[in-house]
Amino acid sequence: MGKRPGRRRANAGIVVVAALVALPFVPLFLWTFAGEWRFPDLLPSEWSPRGIHYLLEPGGRVFEASANSLLIAGAVALASVAVGLPAGMALGGYAFRLKGLVVFFILLPILVPPLASTMGIHLTFIRLGLADTAFGVFLVHLVPTVPYTAIILASVFADRTGELESAARTLGASAWQAFRHVTLPGVAPGVAVAGLFAFLISWSQYILTVLIGGGQVVTLPMLLFSAASGNDPVITSALALVFVAPAVLVLVVALRYLKPEAPDGGKGLVGLGKAS
Amino acid sequence: MSVRLELEGVSHRYARDGDPALADLSISVEPGELVALLGPSGCGKTTALKVVAGLLAPTAGDVRVDGRSVLGTPPERRRAAMVFQKPLLFPHMDVAANVGFGLRMRGAPKKDSASRVREALRQVQMESLANRRPGELSGGQQQRVALARALVTDPQLLLMDEPLSALDANLRSEMRDLVKQLQRDGGVTAVFVTHDQEEAVVLADRIALLFDGVLQMYDRPQAFYDRPASRAVAGFFGATNFLEGRAANGTVRTPLGKLRLARPAPTGDVVLTIRPEALRLEGGENSFAARIASATYLGTQVDYTLETGGARLRAALPPHVRLGVGEEVTVRLPPESLWTLER
Amino acid sequence: MTLGDRTKIVLLLAPALLVIGVLFSGGLAAALVQSLGYLPAIGRTEVSFAAYREVLGSRDFLDSLILTLYVAGASTGISTVLAVLAALSLRRSSGRVSAVVFQLPITIPHLVAAVGIALVVSQTGLGARLAAALGLIGEPREFPALLYDRYSIGIILTYVWKEVPFIALVVLAALRGVAGELEEVARTLGASAWQRFWYVIFPVIAPGVVAASLIVFAFTFGAFEIPYLLGQTYPTILPVMAYNEYRALDLGARPVAMAINVLIAVITAAIAAAYLRLGRDLGRG
Repeated sequence: MGKRPGRRRANAGIVVVAALVALPFVPLFLWTFAGEWRFPDLLPSEWSPRGIHYLLEPGGRVFEASANSLLIAGAVALASVAVGLPAGMALGGYAFRLKGLVVFFILLPILVPPLASTMGIHLTFIRLGLADTAFGVFLVHLVPTVPYTAIILASVFADRTGELESAARTLGASAWQAFRHVTLPGVAPGVAVAGLFAFLISWSQYILTVLIGGGQVVTLPMLLFSAASGNDPVITSALALVFVAPAVLVLVVALRYLKPEAPDGGKGLVGLGKAS
Repeated sequence: MSVRLELEGVSHRYARDGDPALADLSISVEPGELVALLGPSGCGKTTALKVVAGLLAPTAGDVRVDGRSVLGTPPERRRAAMVFQKPLLFPHMDVAANVGFGLRMRGAPKKDSASRVREALRQVQMESLANRRPGELSGGQQQRVALARALVTDPQLLLMDEPLSALDANLRSEMRDLVKQLQRDGGVTAVFVTHDQEEAVVLADRIALLFDGVLQMYDRPQAFYDRPASRAVAGFFGATNFLEGRAANGTVRTPLGKLRLARPAPTGDVVLTIRPEALRLEGGENSFAARIASATYLGTQVDYTLETGGARLRAALPPHVRLGVGEEVTVRLPPESLWTLER
Repeated sequence: MTLGDRTKIVLLLAPALLVIGVLFSGGLAAALVQSLGYLPAIGRTEVSFAAYREVLGSRDFLDSLILTLYVAGASTGISTVLAVLAALSLRRSSGRVSAVVFQLPITIPHLVAAVGIALVVSQTGLGARLAAALGLIGEPREFPALLYDRYSIGIILTYVWKEVPFIALVVLAALRGVAGELEEVARTLGASAWQRFWYVIFPVIAPGVVAASLIVFAFTFGAFEIPYLLGQTYPTILPVMAYNEYRALDLGARPVAMAINVLIAVITAAIAAAYLRLGRDLGRG
């Protein structure tokens, strides 16, 4: 009866779920620092800094790939917010004819794999000289990220009634001043979250980068992919840990600034799973 | 068939080391009686209701129905139907299915339950909307359906948690009458939670007033006006005139002057209270000269602040008495309207 | 709505519509054109449905479609059932803790999940080592092959690890909100635990669960990375098949690759439409 036994059961359940969630990370951590780990040993028999050395090798491929990934994902995040913010304002703040159709159109790249459209556009990119360039990769990364920023920001603007802006206007603020001093600070956390998600989605892209970058633009997931297809679990695990770092960082930041209890708090994060 | 409900020493804490939401509450509700649990928000009244329903387990104390403890009975077998602040109709069922839900859960025969549902809907004047979905109803209509849904199961206890607070004023008084009529007709023992003292006074046979989880007073509504148990209780019921003084031999010496009491009072330090509407503009016993300091027109009455030599008094007078600020009057505090509280 | 408002809305939407219109819809249109055999770059300008005839008539495509439907269906079905069970058993836990536990797999890139799970379930992985320690197997090859296998177990496991939390969070939000309150009502009206689940909780959370499952199905239907990394060589799932055709040195195979792409797009777009339709019906309540 009452809440207490239910709560205890739930706490036991969460331990089980947490263990299952953590499970794939166990071999990743162990392999990263393993020297010798033969079957059927449960733990490595020797430890080695080889994985770490590979990551930190001066002038190495990991360094270059990380820099490329950071640069592209950073630019994608900024551009997605710049494009998604006005769209979010329109979708969240106004009712208009054909809105359902517009939402469908904007959401489509989330559900229809961008792989199909990217193969289609590849020839055009070659003709325009965008293939095999970081800028070309940046452009196709916008396809999966813009829908997310637009939808996240639409829900941010939908929660605003416009009353605060009206109050500011009656106190003498111009339309621009009201936007600058009332709207923007109000939506800033949502904008930050949308930008972080766009960053993560771009950071996680593999196939779009391969198609348009043509091997000339090397990013972290490409190193990880080729390591994973090979036969060196130490290098694979070390790369995987580096690759996962920003995701963990974003999660920590987002959980700190978003209320997970709020029905909308997790929405953006939830959607992210589909694109990375 | 009506049952007696008793709460004995019921306490509840939400967190193990937190303040109790409800502390040592003991009240008994007679068969067929409607009791209001009244108090400001956060006073523990909803907690008490959920303990009676079985949705919360008390950390101490006992809940008895007709003398038998029900703490071991899960909510679904307590026959304590609850109406919540929100209508909480099942969105995937039409009105009739919502009302019939409890009968269906208990495996009542279809034909029998169909006619009981019709009857319950008739009682709340919703029979014409039996096939509507909850989303198509107004807030008041939804709450009427919720009431029918609780009553149709023929519960031993009807528990209502601020069921009218989400409705607008006109609808609220109409619904209040409906609740009272249905409860009377069915003779079901009922507990009604509210923060609105007027609602409690109109509806309840008895009121239990709670502050911070502690019972302040449990009595008939009239008693809260005539014989409040404390200054806080009197204040909650709108009393504003408090005069501190020393009582001896049936009189009290106050800053206003010497006041005679109609009832014998203990000797010592006391607080006298008198309701604003009990003050009279006339001479005689317990009367004093006063000046009007302010007047506020409230439609059905006028609120005056009166300055006397030693105190300020609030008086509520009918609107046809027109007095201007600064006017000199004589005010009388009738002895039978004075109530003595210990200090 | 004033004319000014309309202009403003159009201007606000323009950048996003432009990006998606050119890079996504334009790309799909180009894929469609190329699938019809129109490839001026290699001197082909006549338009035909030959590629579609070839694709739809081929054994490879059929095998691939069946595999794709199987992987997407199994991943979605297993994830949905596990997610509902997990949400039901965890709903009284601390919101913050369950949020962290569930958000983590959602945020982790699929590629990392695939690598980690591969190192757990491979024949020399953590699972096999545990089995050996328990004396269940003696050699790696005695451990069941869960990677690159006929049943795509590794792929499905990775999707399940990623998608259970996604659906579970949707269900948890519903359970902690109105479904929880409605359950209390049902309780005071005499409904037993099973009756409360079947008559109240399940119908209330079902639309959200179906919507989340549709997203998962569409995603697993069209996703590339995990099957490419953990899948067998034949048959492959549709996006991998399209990619392999695309990479073929013979440019003549390109219409076939594009035809497969168009078919993937049509199927997932239909799912998207169903999803939005469901959302709108929910919004109407």
